[in-house]
Amino acid sequence: MATALVRSRLLRTALRGGARGSAAPAPRRSFSSSSQQHDEYETAKWEKITYLGIATCSVLAFYNLSKGHPHHEEPPAYPYLHIRNKEFPWGPDGLFEDKKHH
Amino acid sequence: MIESQRHSFHLVDPSPWPISGSLGALATTVGGVMYMHPFQGGATLLSLGLIFILYTMFVWWRDVLRESTLEGHHTKVVQLGPRYGSIPFIVSEVMFLFAFFRASSHSSLAPTVEIGGIWPPKGIGVLDPREIPFLNTPILLSSGAAVTWAHHAILAGKEKRAVYALVATVSLALVFTGFQGMEYYQAPFTISDSIYGSTFFLATGFHGFHVIIGTLFLIICGIRQYLGHLTKEHHVGFEAAAWYWHFVDVVRLFLFVSIYWWGGI
Repeated sequence: MATALVRSRLLRTALRGGARGSAAPAPRRSFSSSSQQHDEYETAKWEKITYLGIATCSVLAFYNLSKGHPHHEEPPAYPYLHIRNKEFPWGPDGLFEDKKHH
Repeated sequence: MIESQRHSFHLVDPSPWPISGSLGALATTVGGVMYMHPFQGGATLLSLGLIFILYTMFVWWRDVLRESTLEGHHTKVVQLGPRYGSIPFIVSEVMFLFAFFRASSHSSLAPTVEIGGIWPPKGIGVLDPREIPFLNTPILLSSGAAVTWAHHAILAGKEKRAVYALVATVSLALVFTGFQGMEYYQAPFTISDSIYGSTFFLATGFHGFHVIIGTLFLIICGIRQYLGHLTKEHHVGFEAAAWYWHFVDVVRLFLFVSIYWWGGI
């Protein structure tokens, strides 16, 4: 008798979602337990993080673009480079493979 | 948008688009194989298949928007469908990209004598991971932060802020793609330069392709947010786009560490 009582109470608590009990407010959204205030706080926080990210990337981009890019020397014609097995419908080279401008 | 109906039943109409999409995929695959081997009519079948898939995508998404936004048929139980569908979709994408990482590590962990027994192969001038790769990674991560900003703005009911956040997300994504294009243009090797070029461009290229898909997905979400289609309680399309975007972000981290950095020095 007592065991059955305990078991049914345990079951009811589990079904209700842990130890929240009946005092807990009904969930507003089924996939989130967040409140309006919490969402506003998070919105402001992530807005700041985004601005910080944009600022960091801008500095990095400026630094990167001011450096210019290195020019590589043409390697010897090793057999595993510039592989050509058969022609494409438009010719022997891939559409984006023209490297002569470097 | 109208409020979803207040019952817990799955009352959407049966749709012809899954089977039509499957037939399009079959025609595309068979047409693709025919096109790449000496068969007649491969290009025609391939084009028809691709047109069929694009048409199916258009009408399928049109129907989903009609039944959710205009008819209010996407009750809580109907929303579970696309939610549960997104998970195996992203898992399958992870497996797809894992194959390219696997190909790269297979070739680089024990380089064969044919490429000089070293990685990167002799004669390959690799890209400096501290240059564009190191710049593009935080750009994509910032874009991930911006999509989180958009998500919280939607939940907080700040509709305008959410649009701004999505504009920031998409702008960063476009900057990423621009720099990726620049990197490809400046790269001293091509996809046909040894197994290094093959694995490099296959992995980074498919990642870039996924960035473009994610960007389109987020642009659609931004337009729908602007039009007021997304609400605090109902924005499954946006959530799927955000999950997809985070997946693309994580793949970029692995690309940077294993292919640009570890594989390039």
